[in-house]
Amino acid sequence: MKRRLLTMLLSAVMLAACLTGCGGKAGDSGNSGDAGSGGKKAVSLWATGSDNVREIFEALVSDFNTNSEYAGQYEVTLQFMLSGTGAQTLADMLAAASKAGQTNTDYDIVDLSGDDLSKLVSLIGQEQFVKLDSSKIPNAASVEAKSSIATDYCQPYRGTTVILAYDSAKVPTPPATMDELVAWMKANPGRFAYNTPGTGGAGDSFARSSVYNFLPEEAFTSDDEKWIGEWDEGFNFLKEIHPYIYSSGGSVVYPNKNQGTLDLLNQGEIDMCPNWADMVLSQRASGEIKDSIKITQIDPALTGSLQSLVIPTFGSNTDGAYAFMNYMLSPAAQELMVKQMAAIPLIDASSMDMTGYEDLQGLDVSNFRLQSIGGLSTSFNERWDSEIATIG
Amino acid sequence: MSKNLKRNLVAYGLVLPAFLVVMLTVAYPIVLAVIQSFQDSKTGEFTLDNYTYFFTEPAQLKNILYTLYVCLMTVAIAIVVAYLLALYLRFVRSKIAKTIGTLYLVPRFVPAMCAVYAMITIIRDSGLINRIGLVFGHDVKLGLMYHANGMIMMNLWFNIPFAALMITAGLGAIPDSIIEGARDVGASKFKVFTSMILPLSIKDVVVAATFVFMSNVGSFTTPYLMGGSAPKMLGIALFDQFNKYLAYNRSAALSVIMFLICSVSAGVYIYTNLKENEWEK
Repeated sequence: MKRRLLTMLLSAVMLAACLTGCGGKAGDSGNSGDAGSGGKKAVSLWATGSDNVREIFEALVSDFNTNSEYAGQYEVTLQFMLSGTGAQTLADMLAAASKAGQTNTDYDIVDLSGDDLSKLVSLIGQEQFVKLDSSKIPNAASVEAKSSIATDYCQPYRGTTVILAYDSAKVPTPPATMDELVAWMKANPGRFAYNTPGTGGAGDSFARSSVYNFLPEEAFTSDDEKWIGEWDEGFNFLKEIHPYIYSSGGSVVYPNKNQGTLDLLNQGEIDMCPNWADMVLSQRASGEIKDSIKITQIDPALTGSLQSLVIPTFGSNTDGAYAFMNYMLSPAAQELMVKQMAAIPLIDASSMDMTGYEDLQGLDVSNFRLQSIGGLSTSFNERWDSEIATIG
Repeated sequence: MSKNLKRNLVAYGLVLPAFLVVMLTVAYPIVLAVIQSFQDSKTGEFTLDNYTYFFTEPAQLKNILYTLYVCLMTVAIAIVVAYLLALYLRFVRSKIAKTIGTLYLVPRFVPAMCAVYAMITIIRDSGLINRIGLVFGHDVKLGLMYHANGMIMMNLWFNIPFAALMITAGLGAIPDSIIEGARDVGASKFKVFTSMILPLSIKDVVVAATFVFMSNVGSFTTPYLMGGSAPKMLGIALFDQFNKYLAYNRSAALSVIMFLICSVSAGVYIYTNLKENEWEK
């Protein structure tokens, strides 16, 4: 019995080895010549995020493999790490591979959020990524958005930002600056809300921008503890606007989660709130929130983030990676991302079908305001909770 | 090996897996948390700071008092309503009573999240009640959302059926014969209630009350979705300490504080269960 099992196992292994061997050969012979990269066809794309991100990447990969100009030339396979499930995050895995001195890995091209990128740059340095050759990414020529970190080593391909969501039926002309917003709040007490910082990025962005508007621009991307001492003016500002925030049951309320304020807006209990552009637009497109809800950006802008692609130097198919990078900035790919996740396109959207997402065209991506204050955010949230939430 | 020893070994063997699981997943983490709660977050040295923080910081002290207020109100109202409901179900024989008897458990089967959102859509300032009011020209603002009253109301939804279930079981154990006997010798309905039904069911009432209390001290979903920004229920305060401020030692201390609050009620439960009634001696 045991012997029979062993025989079966062995033959299975041999069969598998044989098949993969043949497959590899076929692939090699198939594209030697047209791909100028020594003929390697397979490209591994690494990405992480929630399930909707996986879905969009699967759609993009299949479009790339079958419909794009690179179809047949390269074959991208998606390696997706669902966020919050693995013991190691993608950024940790890359850092580990780099520190272990691995070369020729299958980390061919990696999708990183702004946070992960800054984490990796501080862990292993930007030189661990290929310095990008713009001639190999022709579609990127029209992209104005630039990452503030590792600028020459990563290619942003989509963005999202916190904006001001408002009910256009009640507010025909939304405020254009922070000062106008404050004046509006005072004229319309109880009609504005932001969610408790630490429970969603929109509230984080609003509270932090409010405080950091009083600080020099460099503080925005610094985790130096010296800035904590300079928060007072900003917190006084938050205290000043506190009485004009939405209230229920006799006291001012900061709902939990981004969805908390969006629900209030949709129910007509408030007329304005900071929220994520993609969240508002995709819920509006699916009919979950009213059509009259529109988005606008104020000056100074609320913070956003750019999603970028990098090519680790320890990967094994640089040319394939460049091809996918270029594809991600093609009108077809950008349109797919607009439609499926209300991402802000980074290329000229005039040739794309933006039905339902026209608001995105009004957002200026070239002055994307990025923020990363690292570990200071815990002190920030703690101070907000004890000083602002408790005013009542 | 004697027969007795063998039987004992088998018994221990049967208990052992459950015992080990409890030790590993309950007792061990509790011991760790207690140790951690007395440690400084940076040096690891012994300190009481993690505890003094919760009793000296005004916001945190308010959280504790607020939690006690919400829990005690929930217990008081839930028990009174549940007791009346249970009495009705036990002693009234009608079609309506029968229908209520089958329906009152339904809330137990609605997932917590759905129930909370359902309640929110009804009671929020722009909810169903407000909309019905608007039809008649009244802008009804209940002010229940983000307020203790709203949370207590939600807690009642979850806890009345549960308490009623326990108390009904207790009342069901009171034989009709003794009540009929008492009535035969001329006891008034009120007398029957105060000297027979109440004493015979008070144990179940206390047990139900302790369960309701304990389940609400650490509640999270309801206060997270319906509670205000401050003060907060301890479940949310603990979430803040752990997830937002990454203050693990303080989180441990708060867990111990919550554990102690619950153990007062657990103590009452154990005492009631151990106390033998006069006729059981």
